[in-house]
Amino acid sequence: MIRPNSIGRVWLPAVMIVAILTALPAAQADAQMRWSSVVTIVPEGQWKGARLADGQPDIQGVWSNDIANHDNFTDPQGGIPGDPSKGLNVANGARKVKPRSERAPSRVSDPEDGQVPFQPWARAKQQELLANFFNPTRPEYIEPGAHCAPAGVPKALYWHGYEIRQFPGVVLFLFNGGTRIIYLDGRPHLPETIKLWNADSRGHWEGNTLVVDVANNNAKARFGRTGEFASENVHIVERYAFGEGHYTYRAVFTDPTVYTRPFTVTIPAHLITEKDPQDGWHNEQEWANAPGKAPFFENYERICVENNHGHGALAAAGAP
Amino acid sequence: MKACRIIGRGGVGGAAFVLVAALAANVGCADAVAKPNQRLDVPRTKEGRPDLTGIWQSISTADFDLEPHSTRKDAPPGAGVVEGDVIPYKPESLKKKQENFAARDKLDPRLQCFTLGVPRDNYYPEPFQILQRPRDLTLIYEFGNSVRTIHTNATLHPEGDNPEFWLGDSRGHWEGDTLVVDVTDFTDKTWLDRSGNFHSDALHVIERWRFLDKDHIEYSATLEDSKVFTRPWKLSVVLYRLKDRNIQLIENYCYTLDYDRYYPLPKEGP
Repeated sequence: MIRPNSIGRVWLPAVMIVAILTALPAAQADAQMRWSSVVTIVPEGQWKGARLADGQPDIQGVWSNDIANHDNFTDPQGGIPGDPSKGLNVANGARKVKPRSERAPSRVSDPEDGQVPFQPWARAKQQELLANFFNPTRPEYIEPGAHCAPAGVPKALYWHGYEIRQFPGVVLFLFNGGTRIIYLDGRPHLPETIKLWNADSRGHWEGNTLVVDVANNNAKARFGRTGEFASENVHIVERYAFGEGHYTYRAVFTDPTVYTRPFTVTIPAHLITEKDPQDGWHNEQEWANAPGKAPFFENYERICVENNHGHGALAAAGAP
Repeated sequence: MKACRIIGRGGVGGAAFVLVAALAANVGCADAVAKPNQRLDVPRTKEGRPDLTGIWQSISTADFDLEPHSTRKDAPPGAGVVEGDVIPYKPESLKKKQENFAARDKLDPRLQCFTLGVPRDNYYPEPFQILQRPRDLTLIYEFGNSVRTIHTNATLHPEGDNPEFWLGDSRGHWEGDTLVVDVTDFTDKTWLDRSGNFHSDALHVIERWRFLDKDHIEYSATLEDSKVFTRPWKLSVVLYRLKDRNIQLIENYCYTLDYDRYYPLPKEGP
């Protein structure tokens, strides 16, 4: 159940509790964020933190999704429907799936039912992709990520942790599933005949909120293992509201060729600090070799495809 | 300033120019452009370092063949970018290079869109973008969208049982206006060009990045690999700032091209 609050922006699902997590030990906080019902929602407003020389709010660092992963777009803690392991294979390790009322709400925060407002034909396609996920009899039933394809928008945000770097006029996202260079200088989008896995992004700041217009999507990436998708016509307006150690992503997806109406996706995320464990998911960084300095993390290169010969061979072999 | 001999002067269209020649083959005469103690007129960061931010590309034939070569069906001719012209292979390594060359149309890792590695990514004929902060430089190579970080925060290479990196582990520091980068911890899976020039996992690269003027960088790399070469050797190319209208890096995840036909946009109907 999703209840928009009085200003219609802040995500306040019934099972969620807004909490300050820094009071918890790091390992406990991490487990809480991924698997329990505790998140912090950041409203849009003024930026009170540090700024960079060009005036941008300084939001650099490694960030990660608060809740679950890409297994299920609209029921993030629900596992993948049809999972032969009956929910014991939810992401990292065995875990019983709780009743729906105790799980995190859908990432679709509008409409209120938490579902992507697919046109009937598109709903049928999504159901077809999902029904064939565990026994893919056609190449298109294999999730593109299994070939190391870029995760696309928005899935890259609830896959592994990712780094944000900032430069004058640029916000750079470095994902496991590719890179997004968000230009803030007002330049136009690429010509619309150019279609990209991670799309083409143009941004600007409104107080604490990075607003990004996303176009040129090749629509090959999916929103999760549950098969939700957009078309090449999709237009996405993302709003990343940053607070201290947390941000909340709210994005409106518009695509009249696939959906009956625009819908809103809400994803809470948190900053990874030196207190967070190296868990192979949120925090894949390594300790920098910096004798005499306080310990700090750095990211090694993230290159998937070359190490993934199995999947690559599958594609090259040309399944029927 | 390196020693360069002025061998002539002249004027073209009213603009004076200076012809210079190196006294030794390994001396870059662009040094002659900058007088001692004269700050190059190049973009600079708040801290006063040269600011390499921009989109760059080599227009040399280095990626086709680092060594001097005549024209052939799969390469335009080139005078080579190796100091002394010849890469000093050990005899058994030269044999492997020749085998690579013979099968280059099948074995070159670029054909699978694998990350090209260092230094090859820097002279591959496709743009790359440099974004710079005091603590590091981020290099995004359009080919395959490989992302490389050159750390300039006084950190050291990882210790212990290191992972191997396609792009190596890069630690840089400034020597005056020159960025000097020490690169180690390589895989042995990348090539140095399309002609089968190669290295082992013992490769160690020392790069020097130096502005010639605000739109040109002299890039040089010294390659050391005791398993493959008899001695360290050096290559050098010029990087050009791309100034085309609307220039922008466009994602090129070329490794998806072998399978992206399997991901057509779902369409209405059966």
